[in-house]
Amino acid sequence: MVVNDIEIMFGGQAGDGSLTTGDLIAGVFKRMGLEVYTYKDFPSRIRGGHTNYVIRASEHPNWGMADFVDCLVAFDLEAVEAHLDELRPGGFIIFDNSSEPIPDGVRRSDVTWYEVPLAKIAKSDLGLELVRNTISLGVLSALIGMDRSIVRELVSNAYKRKSEKVLDQNLRAIEAGEQYVERHFAEWPSGYALRAGADGDRLIMMGNDAIGYGALVAGCRFMAGYPITPATDVLEWMAKHVPRFGGIAVQAEDELSAINMVLGAAFTGVRAMTATSGPGQALMTEAIGLAGVLEIPVVVIECARTGPSTGMPTKTEQSNLNHLIFSGHGEIPRVVLAPGTVEDSFYLTVDAFNLAEKYQCPVFVLSEQALCQSKATLPSLDLSRTSVERGKLQTEPVVFGEYKRFAFTADGVSPRVIPGVEGGMHLAAGSEHNDAGVITESALNRRRMMDKRMGKMESMRDDLPKPIIHGDPQAEIAIFGYGSNRGPIGEALERLWQAGIAARFFEFRTLWPFPEAEVRAFVEGAVHVFVVENNYTGQLERLIRYVVGPLEHMHLVNKYDGRPFRPIEIIDPIEKYALLRVPMEVRR
Amino acid sequence: MAAVLTPKDFATATPSWWCPGCGDYGVLSALKAALADLGMQPKDVAFISGIGCSGKISGYLHSYAFHGVHGRALPVATAVKLANRDLTVIAAGGDGDGYAIGAGHFLHAVRRNPNITYIVMDNQTYGLTKGQSSPTSQTGYVTGTSPQGNPDAPINGLAVALAAGASFLARGFSAHPKQVVELTKAAIKHEGFSIVEVMSPCVTYNKINTYAWFKENIYYVNEAPDYDPGDRSHAFDVLSREGKIPLGIIYQDSRATLESLSHLGTTPLAQLDIVSRSPAYAAMQEAYR
Repeated sequence: MVVNDIEIMFGGQAGDGSLTTGDLIAGVFKRMGLEVYTYKDFPSRIRGGHTNYVIRASEHPNWGMADFVDCLVAFDLEAVEAHLDELRPGGFIIFDNSSEPIPDGVRRSDVTWYEVPLAKIAKSDLGLELVRNTISLGVLSALIGMDRSIVRELVSNAYKRKSEKVLDQNLRAIEAGEQYVERHFAEWPSGYALRAGADGDRLIMMGNDAIGYGALVAGCRFMAGYPITPATDVLEWMAKHVPRFGGIAVQAEDELSAINMVLGAAFTGVRAMTATSGPGQALMTEAIGLAGVLEIPVVVIECARTGPSTGMPTKTEQSNLNHLIFSGHGEIPRVVLAPGTVEDSFYLTVDAFNLAEKYQCPVFVLSEQALCQSKATLPSLDLSRTSVERGKLQTEPVVFGEYKRFAFTADGVSPRVIPGVEGGMHLAAGSEHNDAGVITESALNRRRMMDKRMGKMESMRDDLPKPIIHGDPQAEIAIFGYGSNRGPIGEALERLWQAGIAARFFEFRTLWPFPEAEVRAFVEGAVHVFVVENNYTGQLERLIRYVVGPLEHMHLVNKYDGRPFRPIEIIDPIEKYALLRVPMEVRR
Repeated sequence: MAAVLTPKDFATATPSWWCPGCGDYGVLSALKAALADLGMQPKDVAFISGIGCSGKISGYLHSYAFHGVHGRALPVATAVKLANRDLTVIAAGGDGDGYAIGAGHFLHAVRRNPNITYIVMDNQTYGLTKGQSSPTSQTGYVTGTSPQGNPDAPINGLAVALAAGASFLARGFSAHPKQVVELTKAAIKHEGFSIVEVMSPCVTYNKINTYAWFKENIYYVNEAPDYDPGDRSHAFDVLSREGKIPLGIIYQDSRATLESLSHLGTTPLAQLDIVSRSPAYAAMQEAYR
């Protein structure tokens, strides 16, 4: 019997309501005290096309997907055929056989099949085919032992906004699902069980919610964006909430406009941001260079997806790291932060606004589809840990002629006036300029200005979010990773430890300026170094190699099929190269 | 009480680098005079320009000036106004900046109707890159990039803006300073997005659309006593007619501004208290329990 560790995959056609039911399952797990991670695997269209929603529940905070799917809820044969090979031996399938049976050739004998005419029951007994999702929740609930009163409470909450009738249909659907299991499958236990614990002081939210919330708490009162998967949620979140705090969220005509609006707003002194994904990020590149040279604080949320070009808009990837760090003509100071959890998405977004304003430069928060559109459980957010640090913002009058907007200072940061301040009038020009803002092509001034601006990369070092070192810091096996990979790497670390293998894990939170000293210190004494990332070329691995030099036993563990890592995909190479001493394949 | 200023108070110490005789001098002088006449203070003026000869103008106006990237002055200016309604926001750029690389933003600024002024300095050529054809160059205009003559038809920026829902359209000629001052003042006073297109001859590269040519090819719409700038179809008519170029206030109406429709308060966003930890922040977590 597997207790409190299950991954459910809810598969069907896009637009059939599986999202609501998936959220309900996640909510029930959370209320039962479990830790939850969800992953949405949707096609880039609104109706039709195979879609699935993965819900992982365990007793471990911040874990991601499991090695395998434990339970597949399949509303059609396509879902079975697409995902049967991902099912764990000993797992089970809930299959809606209303319209088609399972062909013999498809069946796997090492999993349990629960065939239920969900759609038929929905239509004939409840009068609404749509509630087949809710019936399947009843079936699942009975098979794994969900708390029946929590299930009813959450279903009521979800449907009470609709009519009394719809609510009643859904509550009866739960009942119907549970009863079907009692009548037909009493002899066939699923092999999975849940043991409820206290929910405690916890939340469940999506990464993009945490980013929006963090921005609001950080004092962001202006956002401009252009809808793009998977970043749109941030614009929608801000549009919903920021007006209550006196601010505004603008839907621009394109990303060029969005980022230029953010610059304009930030020029007036308000904390401003945009959120986008790869294609939009590419369009914003020129204006981000402008923010660097004008020394205007802007925050850019990058919710990465699979590229290049349109790529796979609803799939995950970590292939935009180079772009965030190196894109643009000319050189500017910039910061790239990368949260590894929904919780850290909140805190790092707050940090991003403070860093942007203290160092007057663009700051990116890099998330990715497998984190920003995933829901996870997290402890209540501690608002006392947040503060607003405005750096050298100058709102009192200054003396015109004496005041210099781009004054040379020890830390490279100049006092910043905003329009309306008496005496502070100046030109903010993308052309090279002197300390007073006057355009000049003087060689001496150019050197001094570059030194001033780029020097901020050094003066900010101590202020940057620190990496988290997980596991045994003395272990011979060292792992680097960031973003959504924190989940599967964290689980791999724990399972290797259970198997008697120690490992250490460096979780980046600041990716730029690159934490060179920390990286060098971390690899001290390591025999095998693994860099785990979701891209083809090993963008992070190259940065590390640039800092530590060639290491004999440095392995790139990469994945570029648009899907997040499963822990076994990290454990396997570690066992192969580090424990079995298989010689490393050299790709380049 | 702030002192009454003169046009000189809006001058910067930076010498201007336009060619002698450039039409842009007239635009700058008119803008300074308009701001002084309207009793503006430099600290309350945000002046945003694009790239090109015209884009250099922001360096010559004593104000909070922003010289950004090519074609993007309007998104910057729109956001400045949304963020701080106390500022007088003026954007300026050339025909290339506004009608080519920035054409998309032009349309959207028109339909949003923020209370800002946009001055398009139209010289019908790309001056700073040494005289290539621009979106307002005449068909057949011979340049380095169009040695056999420009094959494209010129864009009619004001007609496009009218179709997109513009609430204020004016056109001036930079050799007529008095009129340009009045048009600029009317534009700044207009509640909404006001466009002043100023025919601003390029004396170096455009040997066709010269001062002399303009003098022969312009007229003021208010020369006709019955011209009604509130009549949209009349405005369309004069803008689309072949022949002489209409100048003056061509169209004006009153419709709600972007700021008023955005449900924004009047406090500049930078003055909102963001440092205090609002109790409302914590309350928001309840939705995620």
